[in-house]
Amino acid sequence: MKNKVLMGLAAIVMVAVLSSCGKKPQAEIDAANAAIEAAKTAEAAVYVPAEFAALQDSLNTVMADITAQESKLFKKFGPAKTKLASILTLANQVAANAGTKKEEVKAEVTTLLTGIKTVIEENGKLIPKLPRGKEGAAVIEQIKADVATVDAAVVEAQGLFDKGSFMDALNKINAAKEKADGLNAEVKEVLTKARIKF
Amino acid sequence: MRIKKFWKRIIILAVILALVPVIIIMLIRLVPQPPQEKVEDARIALSEAASNNADTYTKKLYREAKSFYDSAMIKWQEENKRFIYFRNYEEVVRLADLSARKARQAAKISRNSEVDLNIFLKQKIENLNNIVGQIDKIFTSYPLSAEVWNRISRGKMLLKESEVAYRKGQYAQSKVKVADSELLLTDSYEKAKTNLKEYFNSYPVWKNWVDRTIRESRQNQNYSIIIDKYSRKCLVYHGGTKKYEYHVELGKNWVGDKRVKGDKATPEGMYKIVKKFGSNKTKYHKALLINYPNETDREEFKKEIAKGTLPRSAKIGSLIEIHGDGGRGVDWTEGCIALTDSEMDVVYKIAMEGTPVTIVGSIVNIDQILD
Repeated sequence: MKNKVLMGLAAIVMVAVLSSCGKKPQAEIDAANAAIEAAKTAEAAVYVPAEFAALQDSLNTVMADITAQESKLFKKFGPAKTKLASILTLANQVAANAGTKKEEVKAEVTTLLTGIKTVIEENGKLIPKLPRGKEGAAVIEQIKADVATVDAAVVEAQGLFDKGSFMDALNKINAAKEKADGLNAEVKEVLTKARIKF
Repeated sequence: MRIKKFWKRIIILAVILALVPVIIIMLIRLVPQPPQEKVEDARIALSEAASNNADTYTKKLYREAKSFYDSAMIKWQEENKRFIYFRNYEEVVRLADLSARKARQAAKISRNSEVDLNIFLKQKIENLNNIVGQIDKIFTSYPLSAEVWNRISRGKMLLKESEVAYRKGQYAQSKVKVADSELLLTDSYEKAKTNLKEYFNSYPVWKNWVDRTIRESRQNQNYSIIIDKYSRKCLVYHGGTKKYEYHVELGKNWVGDKRVKGDKATPEGMYKIVKKFGSNKTKYHKALLINYPNETDREEFKKEIAKGTLPRSAKIGSLIEIHGDGGRGVDWTEGCIALTDSEMDVVYKIAMEGTPVTIVGSIVNIDQILD
């Protein structure tokens, strides 16, 4: 009788041990989620969108694996833990990459803004030198309109820059720079033709 | 007896040992199968949709797919909380299937949308650049209003922004910019064309003057000068045949006929050279004075005064010349026609008092210009 009881207990312990040999790695999940959130805050979705999408996809895969393990009688979270650790490292890397890219874009916009302001300043000095006859003529109207458009675009780009929307500012300032350079070349061409020194 | 008891125990133990794996296998087999494959399928489909920018092109469908996936995961986790043999994954499978189907649909639409949008944007940007080219070609020296130029300028800037976004593969942003640009450019272009067409309403009259001038040059075997204001050309004919063609610079407000003194317009009509000024008689190298205002100009001027379209104090202009000192690349005169000094030398040499000078808006019709 005593032996029967012992054997029964052994069987129960065996089942219990086998069915609960792994615990959901909640701490690792929380850490990975926090790291992804940090990457999101670092605007990884804006500056390194492909890397960020891959990171989220990796987390989805691991979460599905974990949930699948939870469905099983014999749970095994070891591989998921390893993957979560990798995700944590990757998320930190993605956040760092986003930061680097953001700084690069910021520097590019700063350079372009400085460059365009120099061109605008030069245009401001050149335009009054245009031949007197151009006053009121079609070309001067175009130049005036272009100058106003470039000025407005620079103000808009500066506003986006100040708000920290460096990527949006970059697109705007790139277009404005092309326009300002074109305008500068046009004015210089007119001045050269009109034999006016500048 | 003892031996018998011993063997009995051994048999019981063997039976138990034999039954344990059977029971375990049965226990395992009876566990409902988790919907891992279905959820994985949905995740892959979602990932594919995301990489095809479904969030941009088919936002609603993609969000639905994502929402179904999240619901499937939540439902799965809820089921996992129940006793293992009571779990039912049917709803999880249904949600995962829905998610996968919608995600695949979103990916397909996005793929096609991206390809279509790429083609659409490429064509649209090309078309708008053609419009910009037309505007630059036709209207660079045509005085349009400041408002129209502002709209054109903003349209050009948006087109540039659209091109920048297009080059970076940001098609959705490019599309928005291109649409705004199109609105500004096409509208301005149409307004400018309407304005130009109105000016060209006088074309039949101009054509008549040009034909008469060339015909008379042929009949009289003399030199005639035709000024085409729109294309900035000075055409010198002899015996009805074109001998020289030069670029000219005009008055700042060259569009339309001259109406009043000081309007800086170059007159339109059939004139004659009435006086030649050598280099010591003019500050513009050499000059040929024409008989502006002629009888027709005076009548028109009087009519305008009578109608009140010009104030009574207005004076008719005079001293319209073909002269040198040109080649500045801009319209700078007070209404005269300027040639470079070397070209002026040629024209001055062949011109005499009485040489016809016909000034028209254009020698070609509007369709040829716009084509």
